[in-house]
Amino acid sequence: MDIGFLGQYVVNGLMLGMMYSLVAVGFTLFFGVLDIIKFSHGDVLMVGAFAGLTTFFGLEAIGIESAWIQLVTIVVVSCVLTGILGSMIGKYLVLPLKSAPALNTLLITLMAGTVLRECIRLFFPDGSNPKPFPSLLPSESYSWGNFTLRLDSLMLLIFGTLVIVAISLLINKTKLGLAIRAVAQDGETAKIMGINFTLVVIVTFAIGSGVAAIAGIMNGLYYNEINFDMGLLLGVIGFSAAIVGGLGNIYGAILGGFLFAGLQTFGAVALPFASAYKDVFAFAVIIMIMAWRPTGLIAERTSERV
Amino acid sequence: MQKTFRILTFLVMVCLVGSLLTTAALAKEKVKVAFIGPLTGGVSANGIGGRNSAQLAVNLRNADPSAKYEYEMISLDDECKPNIGVQVATKAAADKHVIAAATHYCSAVAMGAVGTYNKFGLPVIVWGAVLPDVTYGNDYKEVHRVNGTMINQNQVAAKFMRDMGYKTWVIIHDTTDYGKGHNTYFTKELEKVGGKILGRFGVTADQQDFTAELTKVKQLNPDVVYFGGLTNIGVRIRLQMEKLGVDAQFQGTSGIKSDAFLNTLGPLSEGALSFQEGAPIDKLPGGKYFTEQYDKAGFERGHEAYGPFAFAAMNLILDTIEDVGPNRKKVRKSLNKVNGYESIVGEISFDDHGQNKVAAITKYVGQDGKWVVWEDSEYGNGKRKLKKL
Amino acid sequence: MSNKIASPSLPISLAVIALGTAFAILFLGAENEYLIGSLLVFVTLAVVASSKFNILNRMYATFAVHEVLMQAAIVVATLLLVAWFYDDHFSLLMITAAMVYAIAAIGLNIQFGYAGVLNFAGAAFLGIGCYTSAVLGQYTNLPSMLILCLGGLVAAVIGTILILPVLRTSGHYAALVTIAFSILFKTFLEVNDVLGGPQGLNVKPTVLFGWNFNTNIEIRDEFEASFYLCYALLALFLLALAFIFTRRLERSWIGLSMDSIRLDETASACYGLNIALWKSVAFTFGNFLIGVAGAMYGQMLGYVAPSNFTFGDSLILVSIVLLGGIGNPWGVITAASIVILLPEKFQIIQEYRFLLYGIVVIFILLYRPKGLLPRQLRNYLPGGMKA
Repeated sequence: MDIGFLGQYVVNGLMLGMMYSLVAVGFTLFFGVLDIIKFSHGDVLMVGAFAGLTTFFGLEAIGIESAWIQLVTIVVVSCVLTGILGSMIGKYLVLPLKSAPALNTLLITLMAGTVLRECIRLFFPDGSNPKPFPSLLPSESYSWGNFTLRLDSLMLLIFGTLVIVAISLLINKTKLGLAIRAVAQDGETAKIMGINFTLVVIVTFAIGSGVAAIAGIMNGLYYNEINFDMGLLLGVIGFSAAIVGGLGNIYGAILGGFLFAGLQTFGAVALPFASAYKDVFAFAVIIMIMAWRPTGLIAERTSERV
Repeated sequence: MQKTFRILTFLVMVCLVGSLLTTAALAKEKVKVAFIGPLTGGVSANGIGGRNSAQLAVNLRNADPSAKYEYEMISLDDECKPNIGVQVATKAAADKHVIAAATHYCSAVAMGAVGTYNKFGLPVIVWGAVLPDVTYGNDYKEVHRVNGTMINQNQVAAKFMRDMGYKTWVIIHDTTDYGKGHNTYFTKELEKVGGKILGRFGVTADQQDFTAELTKVKQLNPDVVYFGGLTNIGVRIRLQMEKLGVDAQFQGTSGIKSDAFLNTLGPLSEGALSFQEGAPIDKLPGGKYFTEQYDKAGFERGHEAYGPFAFAAMNLILDTIEDVGPNRKKVRKSLNKVNGYESIVGEISFDDHGQNKVAAITKYVGQDGKWVVWEDSEYGNGKRKLKKL
Repeated sequence: MSNKIASPSLPISLAVIALGTAFAILFLGAENEYLIGSLLVFVTLAVVASSKFNILNRMYATFAVHEVLMQAAIVVATLLLVAWFYDDHFSLLMITAAMVYAIAAIGLNIQFGYAGVLNFAGAAFLGIGCYTSAVLGQYTNLPSMLILCLGGLVAAVIGTILILPVLRTSGHYAALVTIAFSILFKTFLEVNDVLGGPQGLNVKPTVLFGWNFNTNIEIRDEFEASFYLCYALLALFLLALAFIFTRRLERSWIGLSMDSIRLDETASACYGLNIALWKSVAFTFGNFLIGVAGAMYGQMLGYVAPSNFTFGDSLILVSIVLLGGIGNPWGVITAASIVILLPEKFQIIQEYRFLLYGIVVIFILLYRPKGLLPRQLRNYLPGGMKA
């Protein structure tokens, strides 16, 4: 195969993997502190993207036209709003069900996701149709033979990497991160040590949702289009990525995200006349990986407490 | 318990008063008709557009003092899922007061539900589903369709594109019945006129990222990218073609002929092709009337591509009921014989399968943010050029 | 709340069942949005009031003491409901659909309510049952009842593919295996044309002793009943079988083993329980029941297509078990009726119905975090335990 096309596939895959990873990181964080499946995550991402779009309209309306200011404001506003939304889901829907079977949080978050999705579809102006997302990043592109690298893709990749590094620093180097890790390891003991359990959970939900908002905006900037059900599939794939990578730490989520993107790209390219089977292929591989490494690729280092 | 009794009494009162009020308002005989379409889920924009259009037909009729009956339209949500489709079809068909219905946007749902209409003898007119088998796969006298099938669309499309001088195609289709059907019929028609298909990609209807497929397309370097699917992923594919520098003509099907396609793509919609059954509504006097009335009615959402068909289907139903009276069997017989009926989407004549055989296919091209009929467009008269020509 | 000691009372329980039946009749027949709204408000008030008077716990207690009688009462109530709507096709279809979903959810309940094996591919196994009855009905002349069984069997056999990864993984990791299968299954059916592709297949109706279930029941022109009546009775029969089966299973040493494995795998293994065996048994039994339900659903609807069996539909099945209260078949049956009937009744608000439905479920869960009817303590001596 032409080396230029190969490079193109790699860059496409990386971009896709970056978005999957950002979604997966959120799932890993929630698993960590509360050991739950939060099925509204994809829809929170979608809300993040729509919040970004609304902010953009607002900025246009008040006459701020510098792309950089717009970009920064969009990211900040959308992260904050989505973070608040996430922490509200955590506080009012997830925490009250703490004493119930863990799976019941799945149902309540699933329904929360449905409500969010339906709200955007019904109440956002013309929300049932796809919406154009402004391209705020410079759109120059550099070509080497068959390989085209767009400046905006490169910037998004770098930005995504920075976000992941920031999260990893936050978890591993700060006091807040220490508290999150303590709660993740053993909520009861963490409480005894004087950690405000509820606060840590809510903050974790806010962080995870904020990252989802970033993924949503990246999605919008990269594809220049968002729609009300974009979160459904991203949510499922992000969830799968987090688990196949291993829930022990956020590197598992990142590995899973890129693995999933790689599988899908490979499936679409290597099965040229049967590319429709690429999802069948990707999910079959996932099942096999799970049979081979039952606790994910980066196995959790835990010992069974009896 | 006392509380319960009080509530019960209240309920009974509410029912009584309600029924009294309705009987009081009864001047004309009331006739029920039904509309079924996807009001929730991914394609709900089309379902809501169809619902509004059908509702508009009913409202206009009710406002008409010369109408013999007063019509009430019940609208049901099939979620674009066959099992729910059968459920709501049963609901409409089992209700003996419902005389006829305009039904279904999704082909798989229509396929599942036609048997139910036959079983209960409810005459229906399909307003959106394009799979040929909906009418041709059975002998049900109850089932009619105002819109053409994907066979007609692709016949015209393949011939038109070959005549333009295009030689090679890549097909991208979604894996629903809609996309797969278009893939099959376009391939068939293209073989007849001698075009070459370089590659074929099936994508899921909720896919976001097409960069892998499109990079492959870039490698194959076709003249035309044929897309069989609906607006939501059509938009994504067109956008990502641009990002990856895939320089090919974009040819769509009826599924992308929506305002959302144009609005979301902006300048990128320039030169995109779409083929739709029916005469161009803006050109027919009835069509203008429809768009005017639709705007006047103040619906929150647009009527989308198949709204006019829903309007035409409902109008045909109402006309038939006015004509033969609210009786299912008579309505069915009368519908079977429809020939040369003037509607806002052109002339309607049903063949022995209830399929509208006047399959006028209109070719549209995206020009300055509007869908323009090919013959009237600057592309058609040579001022602008499609890609790779 | 449910730990409060309550004395059993037969009259109250029977009265509640009678009221419930009357309510169901009213609710199913209601077409007017105000009536549906007021009925919903009424039922909420009734539930609040009954929990205030401890009626629910008294019913639990009555069920424990007069088990056979109470079960018979419920069956009679359902028969009454079905008889009331004997010529109303649509209501019967909805009742039957709810019962079919209840059978499938009971299957899921064996899997994760008892043995703790997560299954997010319920709709896929339901689909396998549907497709089995479509294919067998088309190409063979097997009797319908045998096809129902085979539907279950094929689902169980295909399920064995997943047993290895499901056994090796646990918790969320096991969830992923079944989620992957669920998505894989639907996509595969769509892209592969052997089984009709996205267009789906037609399914032959049920035929029993030469009687085609798709014909209306007519007796000398005077009495005409909906053909769905047969399906409703068949579904009730199957549901009763599934219920009895799961109750027997729960009470047996097998159920005890499964409970113990769910609660603590390590401890169970220490006591010599074969964890892999019982998990596989639960998974296979569960899939069998789901498959049977699917086969019957297919024959009733007469049509099967891949888009009925998406991951979203699997989540609906899981929701039924969770909403009802994990491990309690009564809860599962109640929840199945709610999950199937409520969105249908919300048709009157058209495109807003799922918004409202989502909000309703959220509120139910906030007020009953453990589900509508959470599982009670194990009753070792049915009918013999006095509260």
